[in-house]
Amino acid sequence: MTLANGPSGTPPPPAPDGVAGAGADAWQRVHVISPLVRGWIVLVAILYFVGRDWFEGLFSAETRGRGPLPEGVGVLVAGGVLLAVVLLVAGAFLVSWYFTRYQVTAEHVRVHSGVVFRQQRQARLDRVQAIDIVQPFLARIFGLAELKFEVADAGESAVRLAFLKLDDARKLRATILARAAGVDADPDHPEEVVEAPEREVVAIPPGRVIGAAVLSGMTVALVVAAVVVVTLGVVFETPIIATSFIPILIGVVGGYWSALNTGYNFRAATSPDGIRMRYGLLDTRAQTVPPGRVQALSIVQPPLWRFKGWYRVTVNVAGYGASVSSEGQARATLLPVGTRDEVLQTLALVLPDPGTPRPVEVFAAGMAGRDGGEGFVTTPRRARWLAPLAWRRNGFAVTGTALLLRSGVLWRQLVVVPHERTQSLSLHQGPVDRRFGVSDLQLQTTPGPVSARVFLADSDTAWQLFHGQAARAAEARRRSGPEQWMKPVPVAAPPAGAAVDLPVGVPGGGPVPPSHAPGPGDGGGGSAAQGGAGVRSGDGGGLSGRSDAVPSTPGARLPGTPETPATLGAPGTQQLPGTPEALPAPGTPEPAGTPKPVETSGTAPGPVREVMPDVPRYVPAPSPSEEPADGRR
Amino acid sequence: MRREPIDPSGLEWSRVSPKYLRVRVIGWLIGSLVWLVLASIPLVLRLLEIWESFPPVWLAWGLPAVVLVLSAWRGLLLPRQVASIGYAERDDDLLVRQGVFFQRTLVVPYGRMQYVDVAVGPLERAYGICTLKLHTAAPATNAFIPGLPAEEGTRLREQLSARGEARLAGL
Repeated sequence: MTLANGPSGTPPPPAPDGVAGAGADAWQRVHVISPLVRGWIVLVAILYFVGRDWFEGLFSAETRGRGPLPEGVGVLVAGGVLLAVVLLVAGAFLVSWYFTRYQVTAEHVRVHSGVVFRQQRQARLDRVQAIDIVQPFLARIFGLAELKFEVADAGESAVRLAFLKLDDARKLRATILARAAGVDADPDHPEEVVEAPEREVVAIPPGRVIGAAVLSGMTVALVVAAVVVVTLGVVFETPIIATSFIPILIGVVGGYWSALNTGYNFRAATSPDGIRMRYGLLDTRAQTVPPGRVQALSIVQPPLWRFKGWYRVTVNVAGYGASVSSEGQARATLLPVGTRDEVLQTLALVLPDPGTPRPVEVFAAGMAGRDGGEGFVTTPRRARWLAPLAWRRNGFAVTGTALLLRSGVLWRQLVVVPHERTQSLSLHQGPVDRRFGVSDLQLQTTPGPVSARVFLADSDTAWQLFHGQAARAAEARRRSGPEQWMKPVPVAAPPAGAAVDLPVGVPGGGPVPPSHAPGPGDGGGGSAAQGGAGVRSGDGGGLSGRSDAVPSTPGARLPGTPETPATLGAPGTQQLPGTPEALPAPGTPEPAGTPKPVETSGTAPGPVREVMPDVPRYVPAPSPSEEPADGRR
Repeated sequence: MRREPIDPSGLEWSRVSPKYLRVRVIGWLIGSLVWLVLASIPLVLRLLEIWESFPPVWLAWGLPAVVLVLSAWRGLLLPRQVASIGYAERDDDLLVRQGVFFQRTLVVPYGRMQYVDVAVGPLERAYGICTLKLHTAAPATNAFIPGLPAEEGTRLREQLSARGEARLAGL
């Protein structure tokens, strides 16, 4: 579209792939007062500066008794200029508002904007990584909200619609998510998309948020600074030095405020659309992260939080990127401060299938444990001088669905990376490492606060992990659900052989091979299906005989793989390719309708979006005596 | 052939073109020369007695000497560094290794590749080689293979793109 098309204001013709007639497909504009809400700071600034100048000029003219113009005319001129400036700014906002239009079609969301330099943006709905509804304080007063549509471009919102009425924003979010999920619209009422029901899972009392801020590193810094300042003041007898405390105080108070503002009233919920988080004191935000969009997750415990048993959960989501602003950090926070149970509950949302029969024990060992146990492999004793404190804690564990990386003694950290989300892996070894026979393994994930690295693992073990992880990641990618997480998959599941080499998640939403087809149990490839006792959410009745689309045996696929790396001493949770694995028994708890869209057997349609989801939950393993001998270390 | 401790066993690494060593040597010569000239400025000024006392003689001589030793060390390492670069195409992923002292082995699944770059600098063009870079959704992946013969670079690029498409997975 060119500038010539501008002033007439005729909406552009519907896009070729637009579904005719559907309500949300029409070109629309954001709310008319949104320019004011967006630009109120500019307006206030102009009013302030102009007004101040005028005000001061008034006084100086009075005191000196020689105004350039008669009194009344001066006021009139100043008022006129002010009005003109305000009108000009408002006009500019209005024009930009007028030229900004958006449209949501069955496959895309489009935004046209710009007056002189036009911009037309189009984003595929099934590429959605997250959708936020943000309400800055002023917008809240007007009942408006901003909608942010995030794709994997590391932080910048692909589509920002500021501002819409809150209800409209919610409706639009529901529409986008329903279409992104691949839900077929009701043919009779295509524009009626109900918001997916959600079930609250975690709510954090405000008191705990304050407590967490008080127990954070900021307080320690404050105390240290206070001691230093007081000591200096006393020793050198210069009380004036106390003023240097003021900026520190301002910084710390700002930090407290930001922690409170972003953690206040935090609620996490599960819904068929994914994980939904709401929080905020003045500015409120509701984030929705669809299933399978969390690339990596870390559970951190700062030293002072240990007394209260609190943890923080942060995630890498491709749409959020690695922002250092407090807003960016808040967006990447899945749980600002939570107890162990809440952390496990949050984990269960992200990773409904933990891939181990003892999820609670394994994750607890990852969060607070040390040494081997629950499948963790730690730094070998010979390398303990490279990490005198942390060597007993540095370690990793592999479950059927994720890699767990444990590190840190004071700042305890557990990083969880689902296998299918591994981007690439690298093995590092410096000369000192070589002397001790250890190496580091780094998992690269999308930008974000979480960095996944195994420190100082035994070289052979690290290599086997490296190799096994590459195979597991490939395997998990084949099995992973489609990007459109509710797309009904083809009805008749082809036999296992027929699915071979079909690419998963074809761009363009083509037919997706069934992720879990009830094929003959191919024990050879079903490496990740071990131990369904934890949570098998919507896993098609715990069926693990799946068309794995393994073109050949893992051994042939990966030349030179050490087939059964027995040195990874944790049979309970270690699953490596090529390990013949007995098919697991069907899982015990069987929540239906959880976000994972894997109900594919027979003529069953896709999961129903309108059904209240059950909350996936990790259940502790039965008492250890009942466990099979190989269930743990 | 398991050359280095963290190398996988039973993998055939493709080594880069020997011409790449020449490119690196030329680059190293130019770089060393520039650094040496820069580091010699105080010495020259001192010898010409434009500067009279400030850099002590040992410092004026020591600076270029240190640069010279470091350059020589880097130069000595060059052949081994180039020889340490290797890549291996497997069915599902590409392995890249590099480094003599600080070794790194990287695996990039084909389905994770977002795009592939082939870059040629003036010196590389003169020798008919190129540098191939893989990009995934993780900026930290940093996978590049320098010193590929031009036709091998093209072949690899096409191969990787084709395989990436066949195994495409979103994120």
